[in-house]
Amino acid sequence: MNKRKREGLASNSDNMSDAERIVYNVIHSKQNMGIWIADIKRETSLPESMIKKSIKMLQTKGEIKEVVNIKNKSRKHYMAAGFEPADEITGGSWYSEGKLDQEYIFRLRQVCLNYISRNVIANRDGILEFINRGGYFSGTTTQEVDQILGNLVLDDKIIEVKSTGYGDYEKFPVGRVCYRCKSKGGVNNGEGKFGAMASIPCGVCPRINLCSPDGYISPKTCEFYQKWLDF
Amino acid sequence: MVSQYGFKFAIHLITNHFGKIVAKVCETLFRKGPLSLGEIIRSTELTPEQVKNSLLVLVQHNCVQAYVPADQCTIAFPPLFSNFFMFAIEIILFSVNVVRGEDGSMATVEYLALFDNIIHRLRFPKFLEIAKHQLDDECEKVLDGLLRDGRLTLKQMVERAVQGKENPGAIEAVVRESFHKLLKAHYIERCPAPEPVVSTLIKAESAPRKRGSKMAKKFEAPETIEQRVLEAAVPGEAIRFAVTAYTLGNADREAKSDDSSMVNDGDNSGKFIVILCESLIYVTKFYCTHISSMILIFLHFFTWIQGGIANEGSILWRANFEEFIRHLRHKLLVENERKRLDDGAATILSAILDVTKTVEKKVKIEKSAPLSLDSIFTEVTKTEHGRTMTIDRVRASLVQLGCPQRNFDDSYSIDLKSIVEMARNEEVESIVLKRFGSDAYRIFRLLSKSNCFLETDKIAESALVDKKETPRLLYKLWKDNYLYMEKLVVTAAKQSRFMLWKVNKPLLWEYVLDEMYHAALNLSLRLAFEQEKDEDLLHVPADKLVPADKSSEANALQKRYRRLRDVLFLMGSSLMKLDDALMLFHDF
Repeated sequence: MNKRKREGLASNSDNMSDAERIVYNVIHSKQNMGIWIADIKRETSLPESMIKKSIKMLQTKGEIKEVVNIKNKSRKHYMAAGFEPADEITGGSWYSEGKLDQEYIFRLRQVCLNYISRNVIANRDGILEFINRGGYFSGTTTQEVDQILGNLVLDDKIIEVKSTGYGDYEKFPVGRVCYRCKSKGGVNNGEGKFGAMASIPCGVCPRINLCSPDGYISPKTCEFYQKWLDF
Repeated sequence: MVSQYGFKFAIHLITNHFGKIVAKVCETLFRKGPLSLGEIIRSTELTPEQVKNSLLVLVQHNCVQAYVPADQCTIAFPPLFSNFFMFAIEIILFSVNVVRGEDGSMATVEYLALFDNIIHRLRFPKFLEIAKHQLDDECEKVLDGLLRDGRLTLKQMVERAVQGKENPGAIEAVVRESFHKLLKAHYIERCPAPEPVVSTLIKAESAPRKRGSKMAKKFEAPETIEQRVLEAAVPGEAIRFAVTAYTLGNADREAKSDDSSMVNDGDNSGKFIVILCESLIYVTKFYCTHISSMILIFLHFFTWIQGGIANEGSILWRANFEEFIRHLRHKLLVENERKRLDDGAATILSAILDVTKTVEKKVKIEKSAPLSLDSIFTEVTKTEHGRTMTIDRVRASLVQLGCPQRNFDDSYSIDLKSIVEMARNEEVESIVLKRFGSDAYRIFRLLSKSNCFLETDKIAESALVDKKETPRLLYKLWKDNYLYMEKLVVTAAKQSRFMLWKVNKPLLWEYVLDEMYHAALNLSLRLAFEQEKDEDLLHVPADKLVPADKSSEANALQKRYRRLRDVLFLMGSSLMKLDDALMLFHDF
């Protein structure tokens, strides 16, 4: 264990100055979480100029790399070259260069929705198999499919149900978790209807707390009402 | 506890229907709680005549209930028999119209504004629609009379219908038949006791709670004064919907000049009963030690006096709002399950609710009454859509309806409370989606479903919302009272601060309900404003609005008329739809 550790730490120590070695060891000890420059300064007690110079040299030698920390993109975050950044740093598999990959998520959601709509009822394993058969999304993990399905449930596009073993559910064992589209017409059946409150101007008004019958903002003077009634 | 805009909307309805003076009296009762006549006069600064007339109108239309606080009565009974004695004393005092305070002076009658009944006035068109579809057009007309006039005797209903008509005999027969149909369906009921005696003291716990007891008593909110008054006032089930049960005393009420009470004696036989009963009460109070037997004697005596025959000129009837609300609740439950599951599940739920509604003691029941599978199947196969169902299909639907296993006695109960909660969640989520956008909608639904505190980053990961964007959306939802937030400080190697978020449903629903009352008030005010703006159009002769006239003036008039018509239709229908949401959050 110690031998392996010694190998990982400053393996090319001949090429490193003392300062570089100290900085590298601190960075390496943080493994896949990495560290930013202020924390390096606190832990090494080295002057900032020396730290910066050491980091530059280590980067040139390929011993460390800079990564984007999703929680604070303005801070420079460093990691030993041999580690892949943790999800807490990158944001997870849905993040690319520190940004949520909305396009990728949207396309994966559409694939799942289309599959469920065509099959009426589907379960996670069936969806995963279908996705991985296709070229673009092959390599999608179970956890990622679960997240996408959870996301579709939160968006009220699909419902999570348990198989009764009858009718549309006869392919699935009783009690197995399945999914079906929320609207009976499937994915392309348009938006769901809005509730009673959301269908009127007051329901979406950001100023409702300031509105009163005889006040400056009132139903008689309301601009939202004016637009709503402007046929 | 009614919200700020709940009261404002109720006052608005009273103003529209009965005018500002009556509304002022009603508003005073809302602001200050139950008051006596003298107190209302002092608070409103109206004349005694104006206040009395206003109270008459409000009582007539079931918007106010009078009662006598029990702590002002001198007659005390052992707690064991208090319910029976209270009932008996109400019947005596009903005829006697005398209540004495401890010092022998007149105890004052207090008046309580009934918020629910006032809001029900908004939904009269729905009640009429129910009567029309469930029964027939004639029943709708009879009910319309009751809703317009508040309370009527059967004689008055007949008089109302035959006025100015030929063939009064046939019409009278139709009215009587409709009356009986409405009564059988429980859509009308006897009017409540005019001035019941009600205890205003909060009940203490009946038994001391054992420490560490696992069977901890479920918290129940204490009964409000309104609930107690209504419970005391409503006639017993045996006579509430019965035409032929005896009644004691004259049920018709008129204004009286007496400051302490609005109740009048009625006709001569009533006066005789008054004198007799007053004498008997004094005798009982001073000399009788066995009050229970004396009261039994009184009851038999009154039965003999009345002859056990209903007097159709004296018994007052009114619309039974509770039954209409029950009907609307059932309708919502069935339609929601139809949307969520399928027609089959809706048919089964509808059959269960139809057969169990007679045993429902109140509207807001949490579970349907237990029924065996055989009973459910029998009821389902009686329906048009359920005729072809098999028992296995029924069983599978019961599972889908959230009733996977039977009760210990092999019966099934549907969790109705959860269906109502789902409907409420959907309504609130709809507001969040429209007001804050789809990312906030996902976040809100995540928190609503998890029903526990979640940390900001966890929310961002689960809802797949950008981690930078998530705190901003959470803050917006929190600022508008849709979320509850707590800060957690963890001190380890270094201090970390976490923000935890949660949806507090009971609080949120109260807040949303108040917003809905506010929105309903706004809709009503705007509707009135639009009508006022184009009031002249409503008096334009119809031929001027005919499209055949191609002149520019006529075109402009037609355009204005069409706009007004569309505006009134849109706002009217929106108000009715919003009222469904008000019932969902308040009455169901």
